[in-house]
Amino acid sequence: MSWRAELLPTYAVAARNLVMGVRNVFFFFELLFWPIVGVLSIGLMTRFLGLTPEQGAFVLVGTLALSIVNVCQLEVAYAMLLDVWSKSVKHQFMAPIRIRHLTVGSWLIGVLRGFVIFVLLAALAAWAFDFHVLRPGVVAVTAFLAGCFLTSLVVGVFVCALVTLFGTRAEAFAWASVNLVLVLAGIYYPVSVLPKPVAAIAAAIPLTYFLDAYRSHFGFPSEFAAPVTTGLALSAVYVVLAHWAFRAAIERARQTGLLLKMSE
Amino acid sequence: MSSVDASRLAIDAREVTKTFRSGWFRRRETAALRGVSLQVERGMIFGLLGPNGAGKTTLLSILATLLVPDGGVARVLGLDVTRDATALRRRLNMASGRPSFLWSLRVDEIIAFYGRLYGLSGARLRRQVDALIEQYELTSYRKAQYNELSTGLKQRVALAKALINDPELLFLDEPTLGLDPDVSVRVRRHVADLRREQGMTIVLTTHYMREAEELCDEIGFIKAGRILAQGTADALKRQMGLGYVVALKLEPRPAWLAEAPGVLRCVDAGDGWIDCTVDEPEKRVPELLRSFMKEGVEVRNLQVREPELEEVFVELAR
Repeated sequence: MSWRAELLPTYAVAARNLVMGVRNVFFFFELLFWPIVGVLSIGLMTRFLGLTPEQGAFVLVGTLALSIVNVCQLEVAYAMLLDVWSKSVKHQFMAPIRIRHLTVGSWLIGVLRGFVIFVLLAALAAWAFDFHVLRPGVVAVTAFLAGCFLTSLVVGVFVCALVTLFGTRAEAFAWASVNLVLVLAGIYYPVSVLPKPVAAIAAAIPLTYFLDAYRSHFGFPSEFAAPVTTGLALSAVYVVLAHWAFRAAIERARQTGLLLKMSE
Repeated sequence: MSSVDASRLAIDAREVTKTFRSGWFRRRETAALRGVSLQVERGMIFGLLGPNGAGKTTLLSILATLLVPDGGVARVLGLDVTRDATALRRRLNMASGRPSFLWSLRVDEIIAFYGRLYGLSGARLRRQVDALIEQYELTSYRKAQYNELSTGLKQRVALAKALINDPELLFLDEPTLGLDPDVSVRVRRHVADLRREQGMTIVLTTHYMREAEELCDEIGFIKAGRILAQGTADALKRQMGLGYVVALKLEPRPAWLAEAPGVLRCVDAGDGWIDCTVDEPEKRVPELLRSFMKEGVEVRNLQVREPELEEVFVELAR
């Protein structure tokens, strides 16, 4: 395995996603409009409800995570969706490309877009609601962002696997799945408020731990021991599982002919 | 073909089968290939002909590693299409007559994207992209987005993309489908040049018999998932025993013509022409001329031609 052979197809996919993203008419909405609307509406709601600055920070952290994960996982899912929509799947899988080239290339652009959103929303939150994302320190922010990006990678790759397995019929479920993950991870509330069985599911989601760790710097005691380490370990397991599922889905699509049906 | 040294074969498929299954509750099975055996020598242009649903695209897709066969063995360029798929993909490429690529990418971006997937970069990639854009007369469209291109231009982009990795084996699935005649002629010329100049092996499917006859060294007829006949166009015509066509313009038309010795059938070809199929033209034409003279039939025109490949196709597809 040479670095060149790894980097070149990964770069190809990243460059393709970037160009497609920039030329997408919804790019502005995905990158700016919806995230800004989200932070403004949630921030104003905290003001109306008269929440303390700590409670406001708790909710705004969730809004930031929602915006970042939504955009980043969508970009990862584009690894498959762009070719499905353009019916060019067979060209991609006839080339000597590995699944990791597709997912990592797309994820890198997702991380870039997610980071841009984070910076914009952080500036907006500081200006409008006196919420400073860097207050817990660079390490804490880095861990929070890493958690968002890793969760996005996992969700996005599972979406790719579903679309490869069931075709475009799976798209609706794919869009719903990220929101389910966010709801379970305690996007606007601590997972302790969830019913016990649901809380157990939440404990299996990496983002739960990263949100918990970051919020602990805003005065909310952590519900888990070593949340960042646990989150990273869970993420690693899911990244491997998601790639295995995507690979199996591609092999099955080569068996069933779905790879061709999704092409010209 | 069975006597050909295996190392000289670009494709060696034996008893390949493929059945598609669909439906969650009521399972439906469609046998697309029922034991296809096919050998294609390196450096050959091979035409795969057959009616719709015959299994042409399925066979091509298996050979191109896009589909996994259910049974049989398929070796392409000496590699097994299932076990050695990744190594094989570097040496193949494919273009189809219904191309589709990412709608917002520009022509040069599409070719460069696939070039990178095949391991090209830097100056080498730029040179290759420029050369293909020039070769396929896409220079003025190089910065046009894919969704702005006409059908013919899209097909040229597909061909340029298919050559980005200098493949040893190129699959062309209906490469001139829906193209204007002048563009079709140019595409056919390009295909012939690829084999002549680069020694590339080309396997193409087509519905146009003239295209197959003009381009292909060998032709395989596939129907209902089976190869019914394989050989050169001439050999297939002989094999089918279709005879030769003697086209005649006669005044008056003799009633006995269709019953004359050696005449297999006669049909009215319009504009006063009668097409008679005969078994041996060298023997039958002089016999017929003698009979016409004896009966006072005036022969205004006479042409002898081989049967069209289309007639072979019709016979096999029946």
